[in-house]
Amino acid sequence: MAQSATQAPPADGSSKLPAWAKLGAIFGVVSALSILTWGPIGVSGTYPRFIGAIFRRLTPDLAHANPYLEKMGSLIKPETFLLIGLLVGGFLAAKLAGDKAAPAEYPHPSETTTGKRYRDAFIGGFLIVFGARIAGGCTSGHIISGITQLSISGMIFAAGVFATGILTAKLMHREAK
Amino acid sequence: MMPLIYALIVGVAMGALIQRVRASSPAMIAANLRLENLSIIKFMVTTIAVGAILAFVMNALLGPNTMHFDVKPAYVVGVLVGGLVFGVGFGLGGYCPGTCVVGAGEGRKDALMALLGGVVGAFFFTLVFSSVIAPMNKLLDLGKLTLDQVLGLPAVGVAIGLGVIFLGIVYMLPTVVKKG
Repeated sequence: MAQSATQAPPADGSSKLPAWAKLGAIFGVVSALSILTWGPIGVSGTYPRFIGAIFRRLTPDLAHANPYLEKMGSLIKPETFLLIGLLVGGFLAAKLAGDKAAPAEYPHPSETTTGKRYRDAFIGGFLIVFGARIAGGCTSGHIISGITQLSISGMIFAAGVFATGILTAKLMHREAK
Repeated sequence: MMPLIYALIVGVAMGALIQRVRASSPAMIAANLRLENLSIIKFMVTTIAVGAILAFVMNALLGPNTMHFDVKPAYVVGVLVGGLVFGVGFGLGGYCPGTCVVGAGEGRKDALMALLGGVVGAFFFTLVFSSVIAPMNKLLDLGKLTLDQVLGLPAVGVAIGLGVIFLGIVYMLPTVVKKG
């Protein structure tokens, strides 16, 4: 069986869709069913709700005095279960596909050691959640769910993300040369 | 109770899809942001196109108040600034708040670092929200504005039109871009 290297569909019309198209179409169905059954998918709000849950245990007074933690509320929300699902889904998909241990990747040439990769991942993680909370959503909440619902906020967020995202990735590639 | 179970099922499916399309790979995200490989961008645009058409067609068929739409307010300055900050972190770390959870599930150690960075970022955010972020987010607030409202057209028509345009764009764009 020949694996087609190009995107051109076979003339008989029995085209095998590329992975991005097949998986993207399934994700579109899942996203619409999510809006039908409980609401649009969204991830980043769970991070401050997790902070709130910890603080309500440790220092309830401080937690209740913080307006943002009060605004975000309890972890007993569908979004928290969505996040647990992501963890399980990632684990199961890798296992069922027979993937070997997840590869250690170094996306930028300047990441010459594992420590430097961890540093970039940590700073990146800080900025994506901080930025997402300023905007009120992330890739899932603003870009996927937002534009799916035709929201202007999702389109503005996506424009901002790809402007600096493309710039940063390209600059990180140039740095080591 | 049921919404929690639905959300868990949606999460498992979403996590598996993200893992299979390699959106939880920071190297793949960096290649997409360098515009060398567009597979993840095409995946996202396809998701949005199919999701929008289905959601608004279901909404038209099932009647109002069946779909759980939840549009986020467009406070232009805050949403744009947040996006710009997010983009720097996305380009540097190669993870989103969701994909680092998927990456942690498949055993990526740097995904755990991104997740930890995200928890620290959320903590820091709670400290500066009232003083810095809330005032900024009052600027240029357009409310829960949608494209169909801007265009003055029926939502289902706009969703189908946007979906068809998006699918046309991803069909025409190459997946692997040769480096010039």
